[in-house]
Amino acid sequence: MSDYVVSVVSNMGMIAFIALSAYILLVIGEISFGQQAYFGIGAYISGVLTAMWGWPLWLAMVLGCAVAGSAALIIGSLTLRLSGIYFAIATLSFAEMIRLGLLSVHVQVEIDGELVGPEGAEGFGDIRWIFENDVTPFEFMTVIYVLLVGVLTILFWVERSRLGTVIRMVGSDPLLAQAQGIDVVFYRLLATVFAGIIAGLGGSLYAHFATYIEPNVFNVMLGVHSLAYGLIGGLGTAVGPLIGVGLDIGFLEGVRVFQGYRMIAFGGLVAVLLIFMPRGILDEERVHRIKRWLERS
Amino acid sequence: MLTVGDVFTSYGMIKALNGVTLSASEGEITCLLGPNGAGKTTLMFTIAGILRAQAGSIKFDGQSIERLSAAKVVEAGIALVPENRLVFPTMSVEENLEAGAFIRVAKDRAGVDDDIERMYMRFPVLKERREQMAGTLSGGEQQMLALARALMSRPRILLMDEPSVGLAPLIVEDIFQIIRDVNADGMTILLVEQNANMALSVADKFYLLEHGRVTFEGAPGELEQDEVIRRAYLGTE
Repeated sequence: MSDYVVSVVSNMGMIAFIALSAYILLVIGEISFGQQAYFGIGAYISGVLTAMWGWPLWLAMVLGCAVAGSAALIIGSLTLRLSGIYFAIATLSFAEMIRLGLLSVHVQVEIDGELVGPEGAEGFGDIRWIFENDVTPFEFMTVIYVLLVGVLTILFWVERSRLGTVIRMVGSDPLLAQAQGIDVVFYRLLATVFAGIIAGLGGSLYAHFATYIEPNVFNVMLGVHSLAYGLIGGLGTAVGPLIGVGLDIGFLEGVRVFQGYRMIAFGGLVAVLLIFMPRGILDEERVHRIKRWLERS
Repeated sequence: MLTVGDVFTSYGMIKALNGVTLSASEGEITCLLGPNGAGKTTLMFTIAGILRAQAGSIKFDGQSIERLSAAKVVEAGIALVPENRLVFPTMSVEENLEAGAFIRVAKDRAGVDDDIERMYMRFPVLKERREQMAGTLSGGEQQMLALARALMSRPRILLMDEPSVGLAPLIVEDIFQIIRDVNADGMTILLVEQNANMALSVADKFYLLEHGRVTFEGAPGELEQDEVIRRAYLGTE
């Protein structure tokens, strides 16, 4: 595999985490414009831990996820009583607060004569764990996909379990779910925290793959894209957002020869999809039909 | 069995219930009639724990339930069939039935499966459609499914909010026949309706609710039918 292919495939894998994170929120019936904040928190926390404090990567990633999950718990308990457009605006504001906060973080230490650490808008470079440990891009890509398969396995298991049904009920009609005796706020918070952890995991991988991060990577466009992946690929199964990622990055990379015009084609494709398949390619109804078909054959 | 005493509920500044007092007796069908905006649905949501009363008491079998969460109210034995939002449209008929048994499915899987079979015996059309997505059922079938799902929590009282709304007259007849049958099996029912004729034909007792207050209570026949219908649709003023 050429370096270029490895980097594109790795990117798709890492973006898949935040796409799944936004998808979980869509499944509980909320549109979040703020999942990029948890991606950024995971990236910064784990980056600081390996580059500045010399922690092992796995431990730094665990802590990155834990902090992202806790942030989701706090922001979730403040915003989940809102719904619709109010929730969307609130998540966007929190994400921007975190991004702007990161712009004013200047904490650097000297390591081997070099200053290392977040330096506001100048970014945070020299996250050199993969160089120090001689990890090739191909090996790191493998790590990304092993973790992605792990997350997907959990999501598929949840989807088939009663918990998944309950979460779909909460997303489809919170009031009706409440009338069945479901503690709606609890399940929404649970899903939000899980979504935060997944985004944090993607972010901590990203920091170590890119070796350089800056607050503006985690801006609202990243959030908008991650929402679009689920909406394009479909909200009926966790495979949906992956299809969205594949279409977006795969398609755009595949038609690079058309340069700037490819964005016009892609925008048109998204618009047509959303008109004819408002809940994505693999929406609940198609997933239901596929499941029945699989059970019969 | 269920007594509501001087309950006040508001949405922000807007008062929806201004001291409602009523009761539903065991084994009876109690109807609540009144024009749009009288507070009928608000009262149902308040009893079900989805909305909080500012003042007043709600007692179920002598136990105060006005502070309980919606989940605890279901566990206490009260099931609500909300108006218009009857089913989870993207879930199958069977999944919808299971949803109704949410509070006990973890502890009593076998009992829930038995109950689903009993619902299929009672409503054969649901069995035919068990794998179909609930959103693709007809209006009458959805109402039937909503009723069956409510029964899945093994309630002791059923709150039904406008079961006739949006249905063809013949289907409304069917639904009310089912309500009679369920009641004949011993289920206590509190029914909100706008279709006063249908409601009075099944009610043991009825209340008129206007502007968030009960303005009449009695048995069908105690107030002239024309008067009931006029007040149920238009209010007194």
